[in-house]
Amino acid sequence: MRAVAALAPALLALAACDSAPQVAFADASITLPDDPLDLPDGPGRQAVIENCIACHSPSTMLQQPKVSREKWQSIIDKMRTLYKAPIDEAAVPAILDYMVHVQTANPPPAP
Amino acid sequence: MTDPRLTRRTLIAGVGGAALAGPALGQRMIDLALPGGPSLRPTGPAFPGKGEMIVQRIRPPLLEAPMAVFREGIITPNDRHFVRWNWDMPTSIKAADYRVAVGGAVTKPVSLTLDDIAAAGETVSVVAVNQCAGNGRGLSQPRVTGTQWGNGAMACARWTGVRLRDVLARAGVAEGARRVRFAGLDVPLTEGAPQFIKSVPIDIALRDDVLVAWGMNDEPLPILHGYPLRIVVPGWFSTYWVKMLATIEVLTGEDESYYVAQSYRLPAQPVTPADKDFPTIPVTTMPPRAFITSHADGDMVAKGEPLVLEGIAFGGNAPLSRVDLVGRGWEVPCTLGPDEGRYAFRRWTATLPNASIDLTGIGARAADAEGAVQPETLAWNPSGYARNVIERITLRAQ
Repeated sequence: MRAVAALAPALLALAACDSAPQVAFADASITLPDDPLDLPDGPGRQAVIENCIACHSPSTMLQQPKVSREKWQSIIDKMRTLYKAPIDEAAVPAILDYMVHVQTANPPPAP
Repeated sequence: MTDPRLTRRTLIAGVGGAALAGPALGQRMIDLALPGGPSLRPTGPAFPGKGEMIVQRIRPPLLEAPMAVFREGIITPNDRHFVRWNWDMPTSIKAADYRVAVGGAVTKPVSLTLDDIAAAGETVSVVAVNQCAGNGRGLSQPRVTGTQWGNGAMACARWTGVRLRDVLARAGVAEGARRVRFAGLDVPLTEGAPQFIKSVPIDIALRDDVLVAWGMNDEPLPILHGYPLRIVVPGWFSTYWVKMLATIEVLTGEDESYYVAQSYRLPAQPVTPADKDFPTIPVTTMPPRAFITSHADGDMVAKGEPLVLEGIAFGGNAPLSRVDLVGRGWEVPCTLGPDEGRYAFRRWTATLPNASIDLTGIGARAADAEGAVQPETLAWNPSGYARNVIERITLRAQ
């Protein structure tokens, strides 16, 4: 039982809490912050609003490193086929236009 | 920004911070120094129960700790612990109605209340590093797509709960059990998308220190961290630490589900960006890492004076054995702080007698007790997982 032997040091990190009171679970709730429509202007912006941001914040796309139009196509394909995102096929070229535009129009500041 | 309410809130969130002008908002921005950018991240909006965090994404939440969080101690406060959800999660939990189903290859499937879980065995605690498999992805060169984390998607906490094996015993693990799979209450918005479910081999599930945890630094798990229960697998990446635990399923075969069989995987052998269709292995255990926390890249130090550097390190799945400060053509062994357990952060310190030596590209290099040492160069992979290249900064003496 090699696995058991390897675990022996871990026992030192464990501390039994025999005298600890029984844990009590309470109801809990939080209110998450609003998710503003923080998308720069650009061609195809409306297609992004209609097809992408129902599932996730715009930052998901805007924070990505600059990649090719083909890579954005593959990302959209993954969203559609794997994650079943209801993206209108006719909107895909506009979404691609937008992502290429924002990555070109908003280059990172020079180091 | 068209909603004035939000503008005002984010402005308030920025009060007291060093003001780097953000592109769209007035709040404090943090520069993650991601090669080629975009690199600036907002520290708002504020999330309930959280202090200042780098907001990588509002929905589903992705919050990163600024590196300054790691300057002191080894326990990361709950309000600065990184947050990562793959899918939207409930924002309200009714304790009396909460159930954890234990099924699959068991002798008697059971549905357990929270009190049943708490009474399933001895209450135990373990101090362990929780780290996203993609921590540091944004620093990859060449860059890769995915959540563009700096190195703040890690934290160390004291986790309290019962052993997973004691919970499994309530249902009885059947003959032929190979893996144990976990599902939480975070589910896709879209019909047919893969649920975020993860499994570990049965020998890991039965370990003495793998927990169904409800306590995080002696407080109840915050909702953002998986209230009321999450799995804790010390030494393994966070992806297995399923939050809002709702289902425990014993499997008798391999796990073919998406997030195990197709995602969270590493190349079996080194690859380049040109490689395609290579064999992969799952991301599992964490390799050793170390960070300088006393200084940031570009800081000025006093020329000719002794220079004290401090930081944190962790062994990952194996105990940390040593940390060395490394520069161009020199190495200095570091003094390790108190050992709070093999899975915990450990502090280190090193004193350079004279800050006039070359302080270009200095880094801390951790080694574990099994002989793994942080590499000089990045083991690049297309998903940016399991980064543990030596992290370097440059200091200037004047």
